[in-house]
Amino acid sequence: MKKSKLLILITVVMFVFLLGPFLVIIISSFSNNAVMRFPPEGFSLKWYDKVLNIEMFRSTFWMSLKTGLAATLTALVLGVPVAYANVRYRYRGKNILELVFSSPAIVPGLVIGFSLLRFFIYVTKIPVLTGLYLGHTAILFPYTVRVVSASLRNFDKGIEEAAVSLGSSPVHAFFAVVLPNIQSGLVAAFILAFITSFNNVPVSLFLTGPGVATLPIQMLVYMEYYFDPTISALSSILIVFTVIIIQSTEKLLGISKYM
Amino acid sequence: MSFIELSNINAGYTKGNPVLKDFHLSVEKGELVSLLGPSGCGKTTTLRTIAGFIMAEKGKVVVGGKDYTYLPPNKRNIGLVFQNYALFPHLSVYENVAYGLKRRKVAKELIQEKIADVLKLVSLTGFEERLPAQLSGGQRQRVALARSIVIEPDLLLLDEPLSNLDAKLRDEMRAELSRLQHQLGITMIYVTHDQIEALSLSSRIIVMNEGNIEQIGTPEDIYEQPETPFVARFIGFDNHLFGKVVGKSEEGLLVDVNGTTLVSNRSPGSFNLVKNGDPVELYFRPEDIELMVGKDNNSIEAEIDYANYQGNTTQYALHVGDNKIRAVLPGKPFTADVKSIRISISPDKLIVEKKD
Amino acid sequence: MNRLHIRKPFALLLLPGIIFLLLFFIAPLLFVLVESFKGAVGEITLFRYKEVLTDSQFRLVFVRTLRMALIVTPIAVLVGYPSAYLMTKLTTAKKSILMSLVILPLMTSPVARTYAWIVILGKYGIVNQTLTSIGFLKEPARLMYTEGAIIVGLLQLFLPIMILTLVSAMENVQEEIEEAALSLGSSRVGCFFRVIVPLSFDGLLMGVALVFTGSITAYVTPAILGGAKVLTLSTLMRQEALVLMNWEAATVIAVIMILTTLILYNGLRLFKPRTLV
Repeated sequence: MKKSKLLILITVVMFVFLLGPFLVIIISSFSNNAVMRFPPEGFSLKWYDKVLNIEMFRSTFWMSLKTGLAATLTALVLGVPVAYANVRYRYRGKNILELVFSSPAIVPGLVIGFSLLRFFIYVTKIPVLTGLYLGHTAILFPYTVRVVSASLRNFDKGIEEAAVSLGSSPVHAFFAVVLPNIQSGLVAAFILAFITSFNNVPVSLFLTGPGVATLPIQMLVYMEYYFDPTISALSSILIVFTVIIIQSTEKLLGISKYM
Repeated sequence: MSFIELSNINAGYTKGNPVLKDFHLSVEKGELVSLLGPSGCGKTTTLRTIAGFIMAEKGKVVVGGKDYTYLPPNKRNIGLVFQNYALFPHLSVYENVAYGLKRRKVAKELIQEKIADVLKLVSLTGFEERLPAQLSGGQRQRVALARSIVIEPDLLLLDEPLSNLDAKLRDEMRAELSRLQHQLGITMIYVTHDQIEALSLSSRIIVMNEGNIEQIGTPEDIYEQPETPFVARFIGFDNHLFGKVVGKSEEGLLVDVNGTTLVSNRSPGSFNLVKNGDPVELYFRPEDIELMVGKDNNSIEAEIDYANYQGNTTQYALHVGDNKIRAVLPGKPFTADVKSIRISISPDKLIVEKKD
Repeated sequence: MNRLHIRKPFALLLLPGIIFLLLFFIAPLLFVLVESFKGAVGEITLFRYKEVLTDSQFRLVFVRTLRMALIVTPIAVLVGYPSAYLMTKLTTAKKSILMSLVILPLMTSPVARTYAWIVILGKYGIVNQTLTSIGFLKEPARLMYTEGAIIVGLLQLFLPIMILTLVSAMENVQEEIEEAALSLGSSRVGCFFRVIVPLSFDGLLMGVALVFTGSITAYVTPAILGGAKVLTLSTLMRQEALVLMNWEAATVIAVIMILTTLILYNGLRLFKPRTLV
């Protein structure tokens, strides 16, 4: 089918707008200047060296990693049964429950973080770190439910019934037949949820405190005080990682259809 | 010049690899021509080239004396009926049918009038406000038909329009299509892989295979006189045996099959193309077989594997040597208590094709 | 086996999720909601709302936030629709590549993504350097810390969301339906507006809802590109809470943000004309 030139033009301009900035960051990260300037003068890797040597970036990176993994796994453990129940069973009040289950993705993250801070830290005196983990779990929960539901819906219920008719208990059939067949959905849910947590700012904003900060929060703090290409270098590293993850997952899982 | 003329067409889905190569086709005004063939034979490509969804890389498409080759589909005034009906799901029956008329800026009163007429024609009066989702398969098919004939197209193209219907509805719709064609006299090109549809509807059938036309003829021609092994097989000559030419006589061509001589006098066949000693294939229909115990003219020994009673007919699975043979005979299963019998085929029902 | 077990096995599956959300999501939100109505001695009052709603800075910020969302959303539709339409017409392989490019801005750290605009719009950034070197500007213009900068940053985030939503809506429109429209005499453009748009209208509403509410609640983009100079609802809320330690005001703003998003989100998704033809 013929594609009109105007359509192609709009799409190309759109992609330049979406992706051009990423190129700009990567180029600027190799700058020799201490002040952000474009085009950069000279070539150096010193900002990369600096990123790796700033203790706060290292420690907050680990914090983000640990929080992301813990929250993602918890959200999956909570989300998979919910997804299964919603795909396989009809019950009264399902619409309302589905709305509740998806609401952590609709309510602004900033508000979630803020209310967790008010409720836990001030009322029940839960440690900040626990609040961070719980807040992240709450916002990841809708993602895991949605992605796992989508892949469960594509899995023929008859296959599971066949397993049960051959003597599996429903629980055994779930682990032996259903889970292996929704593997790619689980992996997609894990990756999407982890990235969401790792990148999150609004929820983390209120749930950080002395000794508890995530990498994006630390980056924001750094940017308030310094205006050198360190953040460019760090951003470039994050961008390259993201590209690698998308490249591998889009081919294997078609992750864009879950977003 | 014919009403529709495709000449020297190269067309397909990927550039440089056309499905149709140097393709010719002509259709007269008022004809219903079927393009018959298996999937991938180029029949849909031909249809889409005429409709304008595929632009020919080479050659010319002429309809009614006008050059259509580079005309976009929306300027062609060709009606198109799709296999999945392709009704607009957001529009009511009325709005679906009105769609083409509105694009043609027909006056509102006239649109109402035309739609009332065409819905009456396809027996859907009273369904105007329904959405496609509220219709049965047969009704959707009728809306699709109404939508494409209401624009009074120069030509109606139908792409396997009945294949999504169940057997009974298909028979009904086939009769209805036939009635519409006679009533309206529209030129139609009908794509199908179903030989019964093609035989019962068409004034002419074009059998296609791998982008080429194998045979053009009336339904009787195609059914009785298939000109190539492909057409023969496609049109129901399901059985085949291998043999060797051993002579020609007044009765016809003599072919040796596993030591038995069979006679074929069916023309055209390969009668004049073969000489003694040439390997050949024999084709015949399951319905043209007779079973008998004693020796008879033009018969060969076979063994029954099983018989399957189907009411008014019985289907037999047999084999002659290593070749499986299927036979369909009227009445109850053959009761003779023998495994070994003979199958007999009359010489004029046996096609002989030279084996390459 | 006990009857309850046969009839309601799903309850056991739902329970952990429900309990978690009740404790760690719904309870805190309700707590904040209740708190926003509580006066100094525990009485119920609308005083805090009155205080915030009559504050001229809040009003300015509220209107500004809505205004920016009202600018971002139509641009996202106007650019997103054609691009998404083109993408549904591509081969699977090409589409997959473009889709992974579309989701790149969504999956990248928002700080990294937004930081790029500092490099582009900053005092010595690309735009200023280019415009001054060709003599269009005498000295660098202030592009950062403006509404324009925030709008640009929001577009980079929300165009992909609009495109993804529209692509998945248009994917369900069968090719044959478009061909039917063309064979009946529609032009390509006519077919797009009469057939494609109505059939992907649910996706459009969804996209508009996501982009509009997202623009209102976005934090990182206005925080970096607007700073303290151009506050939005979310940066104002953070400022009240963490800088000015005015928890009461922050609480009220939080409630207003939830209400605004919920009303807009659900309102937009309920709006549904039967046909546009």
